Amino acid sequence: MSNKYEEAFSNTFLNVMPQFGIESVTLERQTECGSKIDAPGVVCIIGVTGDLHGNVIFAMTDECAKMVASSMMGGMPILEFDEMAQSAISELGNMLAAGACTYLEIMGIKADISTPTLMHGDFVVQASFEQVTCLEMRINDMHFYIYVSLERK
Amino acid sequence: MKEIKVAVVDDSPFSVAMLTNMLTENGFQVVGSANNLQQAVDVVAKEKPDVVTMDITMPEVDGIECTKTLHKLDPDLKVVIVSSMMDDEIIRKAKRAKISGYVQKPVDAEELTLTIKRIMADEELFAELDKLYYTVFKEALSDTFNKFFHAVPEYRDEQKANIEQTSRGISSVMGIIGRYGGRMILDMSTDTASGIARTLFKIDQPTKEHIINVIGELSNIIAGNACSLMNKSNPLFGLRVAPPTIVYGELIKISNSELNTVTSVKADTTFGEIYMNIGFNRGECE
Repeated sequence: MSNKYEEAFSNTFLNVMPQFGIESVTLERQTECGSKIDAPGVVCIIGVTGDLHGNVIFAMTDECAKMVASSMMGGMPILEFDEMAQSAISELGNMLAAGACTYLEIMGIKADISTPTLMHGDFVVQASFEQVTCLEMRINDMHFYIYVSLERK
Repeated sequence: MKEIKVAVVDDSPFSVAMLTNMLTENGFQVVGSANNLQQAVDVVAKEKPDVVTMDITMPEVDGIECTKTLHKLDPDLKVVIVSSMMDDEIIRKAKRAKISGYVQKPVDAEELTLTIKRIMADEELFAELDKLYYTVFKEALSDTFNKFFHAVPEYRDEQKANIEQTSRGISSVMGIIGRYGGRMILDMSTDTASGIARTLFKIDQPTKEHIINVIGELSNIIAGNACSLMNKSNPLFGLRVAPPTIVYGELIKISNSELNTVTSVKADTTFGEIYMNIGFNRGECE
C-alpha cells in the first residue's frame, strides 16, 4: 500500500542532495518490504510522533556514506568513516527527516522527530511495524535507502 | 528570573552604543563590549556574560568563527547573531556553530529582548531536564525489573562521556520527541535478552521473534514510564516516545551522537548486563 506521505521523504532527499553538489539523484524504486532490514553498513534511525507515528531509517553502504559526507564537507576527501563523517551523516539524517516534516506539514500532516541514532557495522534492523516502505534512491552510481515505518494515528 | 548579563560584540562603535542602550533600557545588565575577536575573548573571560550579541561582519574573523572561539572558552555561552545580513547560508552556518538565536539589523528592541529572554528561559528548562532525566530513567528501569522479575538491578560505571560503543549483540533504540528531542538505547548480549524472553514468555527456547518482541516491549515501558514521570514533573517537557527499533548482529558500532547531554550506565540484572544510554538535545535556535 502506498501512502502519499512517503513522497515527503523522497522529495526532500531529491531537494537536499543537490545542495551538497550531488546532482545525479533519482528515486529508482518504491517497494513494500518486510520489517526486517539487512543493514548495508551505515544506518541512521529517527523516531517520529504526531499524526504519524513510527521510525524512519536511512541506510547506505560505507562507501556511499563516505561519498555523501565528503560532498557535505565541500569535497574534503574522506578515507575512513570516522567521527567527522559520522557526524555529517547524523546531520544529514536530521536534515532529511526535518525537511520531510516541513513537507508533511504543507500536506496537513503534523509530525515531529527525535534526535538521530547512528549505527554502523554488520547487523539487521527490525523496524517497529510490519509494513515498511523502502524508497530506493540512487545517487551517482550508489544506492541510498529510506525505510519508512510509519502509521497514521 | 535572575538578571541576565549581556556582552555586545560589534565592530561598529555606533552599533555597540545603540545595542547597549537598548539592552540596558530593557532590564539587561550589559557587562561589556568588544570590537574584535581578542576583545571579545577578554570580555567573556573576565565578565562571564550569559549572552553575547554578535555581529556577523567583524575584522579578522567573522561572527561565526568568533562564536566558535568563545564557545571554547565557555561552552554554555549563549550567542545571538545581530546582523544586517541574514540568509539561508548564514542561518545554516549559525546552526552548526550552535548559535542560540538571530536578530536582523535594524534591531527591533522588543524582538531582541524577547529572543534573549526566550533563550534564557529555555536554558533554565533544559537545566531542569538535565538534572532530572538520568535518575528518572534509572528509576523506570529499576521499577520495570522489579515488577516483572522482583529484582532491582545494580548500577555501575555511570558516564557522562559521549563515546562510540560496540553493541553487546542486541540494541533497542527509542526516539524521544518533545520540547527537547532525544533517544534511549538499551543494549545487551543475546544471552541476556534470551534470558529475559525465557522468563517472560515462560518458554525454554525463545525464538528471535520472542526476543525482539520482549526487548522492544521492555524498552517501550521503560522509556514511556520515564517520559511520563518527566512530564508530570514539568508538563513543558511534553515528551513522547516513538516505537522501538531493534538492531541485532555480529558487529554493531553505536556512534557517539551530537547530544547536549548524555548519560550511560551499566545495570547488572539477574540475566546479565544491560547498558542504558539516554541523551537529549537542546534543539534548534530561534
